[in-house]
Amino acid sequence: MDPNREQWVDERLSALRPDREWQPDESRGLARFRRLRDNTGRRRRYWGWMAAGAVTAALPLMAFPSTRAFAQRCVSACVGQSNWVHDVFVRNVSISGPSSVFVKADDRRMAPDLVLDDASGHPVRLSEFRGKVVLLNFWATWCAPCRIEIPWFSEFQKSHQDTGFAALGVSLDEDGWDAVKPYIDEHQINYPVMVGNDDVAQVYGATSLPTTFIIDRSGRIAATHVGLCSKSEYEADIKAVLDER
Amino acid sequence: MDVSREALVETNTGEGGLDIETIFHAHYERIARVIARVLRDPSRAEELAVEVFLKWSRNSSAQGENAQAWLYRVAVRTGLDELRREARRSQRERVPRFFRPSPTPEDIRAAREDQEQVRAVLAAIQPRHAELLVLRSHGLSYDELAGALDLKPASIGTLLSRAEQTFRKEYIKRYGPQ
Repeated sequence: MDPNREQWVDERLSALRPDREWQPDESRGLARFRRLRDNTGRRRRYWGWMAAGAVTAALPLMAFPSTRAFAQRCVSACVGQSNWVHDVFVRNVSISGPSSVFVKADDRRMAPDLVLDDASGHPVRLSEFRGKVVLLNFWATWCAPCRIEIPWFSEFQKSHQDTGFAALGVSLDEDGWDAVKPYIDEHQINYPVMVGNDDVAQVYGATSLPTTFIIDRSGRIAATHVGLCSKSEYEADIKAVLDER
Repeated sequence: MDVSREALVETNTGEGGLDIETIFHAHYERIARVIARVLRDPSRAEELAVEVFLKWSRNSSAQGENAQAWLYRVAVRTGLDELRREARRSQRERVPRFFRPSPTPEDIRAAREDQEQVRAVLAAIQPRHAELLVLRSHGLSYDELAGALDLKPASIGTLLSRAEQTFRKEYIKRYGPQ
């Protein structure tokens, strides 16, 4: 060790010696220590009570089917929000508005087949609609944007069915037909509606509602609409696919 | 055996096990002084010293024979962390200096140039080097340094020499060979 350097450094560091007049106030320090320690204990107890309260409040919610469904919706909404956050910040997808994607005929992939029962219990198979342009809409009765779109789809069904067009709805309501049947009757939905589940939605990648696919006459996905898109966008895509030969 | 060690042994052998407040009495002043070496504001040093004891009281693995070493280690790190934070803050504030209120006589007295220079160098060099130099200047022996910083006693000489070299180089780079 270089003694000169050691001495040089020691001289510089000696400047750090606290003022001789300064004396740490131990009694004040101890009072502060006790206060902070007690506050920490109090905070832990507070959060313990909060957690116990939350569990107590959640238990009656799970006891009845209607409150359970409500809780499930709250959870789904939270999951939807977290997916949104994930999309924006992790996947870097723009969520500034709904998205519509139209795929050129050569790049399209086959729509996975699905078989689900309609309101009267008859199985509806997607592949049976081969040769028609199909609008496949994933929705739920509690989803506000879905409720806006549904009258448009009824309208399309009415105006285009003679040109080889068919609309199909897949509801993802947790309450199943109990929620969907009254809705169909009330809104006079004029196309087949089935009740699906998360597995079906996952196969299609329908992670948020509404999600709508326009399937061409060969059973391939021609367009995907996620979120509330404009009626004219749907019309343009349907017309474009209907015009393909 | 110094006062703090006596207290530590007494508390370890006492029927009630470790008494946090006894440890506090035994070490508070030394811990506050270690932190006050690094910081300009002594009252902030005292606040941080209390936080060191709070951390110690929550960390069961630190409450044993090596309590003193643990307290020194956490104290010097806490002080240096605060020093680096202050350095960053003053760098950020450099631009709108015009808008800052003029310093009080207390500030001027506290900001002794030689102290400030040494602190600026400590904030800039490697934390491990700064820790060694601060504790050494506080009067810790090689064995105590090894215990406090969790190092082999045989390597302290070399590390200290390297720390001094780094300190001197950085100091001269900033302020010239004074």
